[in-house]
Amino acid sequence: MTLATAPGILAAGIGELVVSGRPDEVLAAYGLGSCVALVAWDATARVGALAHFMLPAPPPGTSPAAATPAKFVESGIEPLLAAFRSAGGDPGRATFRAAGGAAMLALSSGDLAIGRRNAEALSAGLAARGLRLAASDLGGSQGRTVQLEVGSGRLLVRSLTTTREL
Amino acid sequence: MTALPAQLAADRLVEVAFRRAMDEAARALGALSGEIVTITEPEIRRGSAADILALAGGPEQVVLAVYAGIAGALDGHALLILPPDDAHRLAAILLLGLLGPGELPIVRGGPFEFDELETSALQEAGNVTISAFLNELGRGLAAPVQPTVPQVVVEMAGAVLDAVLSDLLADRDDLLASRTTFVAGARRVEGTLLVLPRAGSLDVLLASISGA
Repeated sequence: MTLATAPGILAAGIGELVVSGRPDEVLAAYGLGSCVALVAWDATARVGALAHFMLPAPPPGTSPAAATPAKFVESGIEPLLAAFRSAGGDPGRATFRAAGGAAMLALSSGDLAIGRRNAEALSAGLAARGLRLAASDLGGSQGRTVQLEVGSGRLLVRSLTTTREL
Repeated sequence: MTALPAQLAADRLVEVAFRRAMDEAARALGALSGEIVTITEPEIRRGSAADILALAGGPEQVVLAVYAGIAGALDGHALLILPPDDAHRLAAILLLGLLGPGELPIVRGGPFEFDELETSALQEAGNVTISAFLNELGRGLAAPVQPTVPQVVVEMAGAVLDAVLSDLLADRDDLLASRTTFVAGARRVEGTLLVLPRAGSLDVLLASISGA
């Protein structure tokens, strides 16, 4: 599902990925907490892709639904790269950036360090493919919204109090 | 998402119990605030992560959330969610009776800033509301149901909820959520109580409701 946003903005909801080769479009993920957004951008082809990961890996015996290929980092990097290639992007010359992975709440149950584990799974998943993050804004305890301008490759990370370029 | 008939029937049973519990939560918030609290018709919805975020106003909507885990006979998460301006108004209502003659009113910075007194009052509002809901919901269960110590956070709704959703949606793609909007008094404070039980807890609740 793609969130309804302003024209020209393709937003990835939890577990979704978006890709674009249109320079006037913006890719976004809103309100990241422990979730992690991975952004790929190819400066030559002017193609961008963004995945909104929720968890590091699927529980044994489960797999993500077709609508949420990026639900898990472990199984979601490949669909992101495939979509990126399909739009004309080349992972070999692309830059990868990531944001999110915060610890917002001390949950009464579940994984208390899910944000950190998401970030670790992302680095490991990229490294396994010979890729690495060029820049990141991971961890902490603040929510983040990320927006990639496909034409320029500018990536903005916004929190409640700041906006910075990554 | 299309639910199976058996699942729909089960959801309806849970809905009745949730409606009763929401009434109790509203009564408790009314007693705490000294205001007449009315609630909208509780909304019980089975949905995806995106659906649940929509119930909280959308992922980028800034909210004050009082979070408490659900512990005991049932398991899950509960949040009292307020837009920041409404949270300030509710805090003012709650603290009015605590200010003595000559004491200074609340001085605050930006709309997203809450001082210690406000935070404490809102934490208590969340605690009372969620506790009342769980007490009523837990009637008839073998063991009590209680909230964990509440936490207050001011953040984008998506950032608050995604850890909760991660915990509940790891092995499934939809969950049952219950939402009610409260309106308190003439100063009109709107808040949302969002209750997200773990799937296994619904089975426990259903067994209790049907007398199994």
